[in-house]
Amino acid sequence: MGTLIVLLVLALFLTAIFTGGYNKDFLDRVKTSKVWDWLTTVDHKKIAILYFMSGFFFFIVGGIEALFMRLQLIVPHNDLFVGDTFNELLTMHGTTMIFLAAMPMIFGLMNAIVPLQIGARDVAFPFVNALGFWLFFAGGLLLNLSWIFGGAPDAGWTSYTSLALNEYSPGPGIDYYVLGLQISGIGTLIGGLNFLVTIINLRAPGMTYLRMPLFTWTSFVTSALILFAFPALTVALLLLMFDRLFGANFFDYTMGGSTVIWQHLFWIFGHPEVYIVILPAFGVMSEVISTFSKKRLFGYTSMVFATVLIGFLGFMVWVHHMFTVGLGPVSNSLFAVATMAIAVPTGIKVFNWLFTMWGGEIRFTTAMLFAVGFIPTFVMGGMTGVMLALPPADYQYQDSYFVVAHFHYVLVGGTVFGMFAGAYYWWPKMFGKLLDEKLGKFHFWTFLIGFHLTFFPQHFLGLFGMPRRVFTYQSGVGLETINLISTIGVFGMTIGTLAFIYNIYKTFKVEAQAPADPWNGRTLEWAIPSPPPEYNFAQLPRVRGLDPFWLEKQAGNKGMTPAEPLGSIHMPSPSYLPVLMSLGFFIAGFGFIARGNYAVGILGLIVVVITMFMRSFEQDHGYHIEPEEIEDANKGVQA
Amino acid sequence: MAGHNQQSTTNQPASRKPEGVMKHLISFAIMIVLTALAFYLVATDVVPEGWVLPLIIIFAAIQVFLQLFTFMHLDQKGSGYYTLFIMAGILIAVVSAVGIILM
Repeated sequence: MGTLIVLLVLALFLTAIFTGGYNKDFLDRVKTSKVWDWLTTVDHKKIAILYFMSGFFFFIVGGIEALFMRLQLIVPHNDLFVGDTFNELLTMHGTTMIFLAAMPMIFGLMNAIVPLQIGARDVAFPFVNALGFWLFFAGGLLLNLSWIFGGAPDAGWTSYTSLALNEYSPGPGIDYYVLGLQISGIGTLIGGLNFLVTIINLRAPGMTYLRMPLFTWTSFVTSALILFAFPALTVALLLLMFDRLFGANFFDYTMGGSTVIWQHLFWIFGHPEVYIVILPAFGVMSEVISTFSKKRLFGYTSMVFATVLIGFLGFMVWVHHMFTVGLGPVSNSLFAVATMAIAVPTGIKVFNWLFTMWGGEIRFTTAMLFAVGFIPTFVMGGMTGVMLALPPADYQYQDSYFVVAHFHYVLVGGTVFGMFAGAYYWWPKMFGKLLDEKLGKFHFWTFLIGFHLTFFPQHFLGLFGMPRRVFTYQSGVGLETINLISTIGVFGMTIGTLAFIYNIYKTFKVEAQAPADPWNGRTLEWAIPSPPPEYNFAQLPRVRGLDPFWLEKQAGNKGMTPAEPLGSIHMPSPSYLPVLMSLGFFIAGFGFIARGNYAVGILGLIVVVITMFMRSFEQDHGYHIEPEEIEDANKGVQA
Repeated sequence: MAGHNQQSTTNQPASRKPEGVMKHLISFAIMIVLTALAFYLVATDVVPEGWVLPLIIIFAAIQVFLQLFTFMHLDQKGSGYYTLFIMAGILIAVVSAVGIILM
């Protein structure tokens, strides 16, 4: 309690110092500052940048953890990161990459692009959008503070019980995992709900379901998967929290609990989760390949159908992560068949991409390179996936580096390539500047070669019997060379990522603004300036078909035909409540992790309840932007 | 339609049945009472042990019904999306539960 007051006073002091002293203008100056603007924003384009940048930050953190692991494994009997430290590294690498890097980067692109692609002025619930981001950020911060305060979680990203129970994992590590993921999970869940409502309700006139761009479609299905999958994680984490903090026995079999229940709950969430992170990447690829082949997407309807089918089947296959648990041959064969069925819609997608490029006028920009590099890489990951889906073979592969190679081929080759392609493609729309293409191509080639050098040999490491999640291996059993090659590959990916960081830095320094439509785009987002004004569309566009902007360009029109006269536009007001509410959750999380003294935890929850109360009884109806202001702004753009 | 400044939300009927506050208050009261009753049944020995579980499941079902129809307006027109998503949720929950119990 005392610490909190000290921190609060210190924060006030620092703000006063940085904004020029404490006097009667203090509050006004704080409110006009850039930092305040970003903390309180409810604009989906700014939240997109916050999501994407913090996701990229965590991507670097997770990457450094991976680099450390590969450095430890470069030679046999190495002693750089041994035992517990290595366990912490592998746990945090997995957790960070899935929950704190892939998810927010996806939400970043969704926030930036989906409202523009459906011709909306914002998401359905701007406040909830901001709250979702800040909850994710609070959870991510909480999870990563474990490195400093008390030790990181070390039971793997799956955090299997009984290993994750108090008896075998004393100390606060797993508590950070439980509460950090719980808090960021709430953020993800409300974010997913928000996009469902947005896509159902806020489509521009004429934008029917089968005219929605594929990125919007995949975002829609991903949001539905989030809605159905995350509650399973919430329940699992809640049960684990009760086991660890309050002495319950849900997972302790000696007390009548069940260890396997955790695995079921985790994978009922966990398998849809991998589709949650891959589907938006599929969407990005579809947009990029179609734009840079200058062709309409081949088999649009079958693409939509395949997306929905993958989403549906994603819930029917979780037991394939548990083949060796001993659930019996009937269960294993059932889930094996269901798993192999997923290869069908995925195959449809791959062929559609290839046929889109067939006979197209292909431009190999960086985004297109990532998309083209993605196809064979992802197919290789899919192939090993089908191999792992066979239970008898899985008994041989399980817990070996073969599995590691498989899921890095689908997650890096799929999601990460997708996010990079999306970044290069939509950077002008998000930031108003074009990323450097030369550096981008350098980034692509170093990353692609480094990636394959790292993970292709790992298939063989697995087949030669090297188990995953171990910190060292014997010399003289044929693992040295392959491990060395694998570690060398990591440097390729590191150099590629550094080139991307330098590219971002360089792009911010460049003066030249990107044009509204730098790629000769097809969808609605390219019909408005880069970056778009805060109201996106001065007049909502009328959509006449699939690839609406392309259709208008083909018809010789300069822009979209408006569907409404110029009128005053209603905008939501910024709010400081999302940050405050997330701070409450953060404090509560820390309080419960500290154990024994629940005063701080309850204090945090009180902050949450108070901010919820304030939100409920707030009388704020937003503000309006009048047509005159819009016309002035438009003149400014044209001049 | 001048000054039309909000995007239309599709599939919402223009006019809705006016509904009273009483309906909500009564549903709310019933739900509170049922929750309290469930705790009471578990904590004391008023009913035989074999009856406790079926009874609280029945209470839970009534609460779900009240929640969906009073507070989430499933009885009104234009609830196609809600029904779709609730059905999808039930399907996935059933598959998961059956998977866990039988497999």
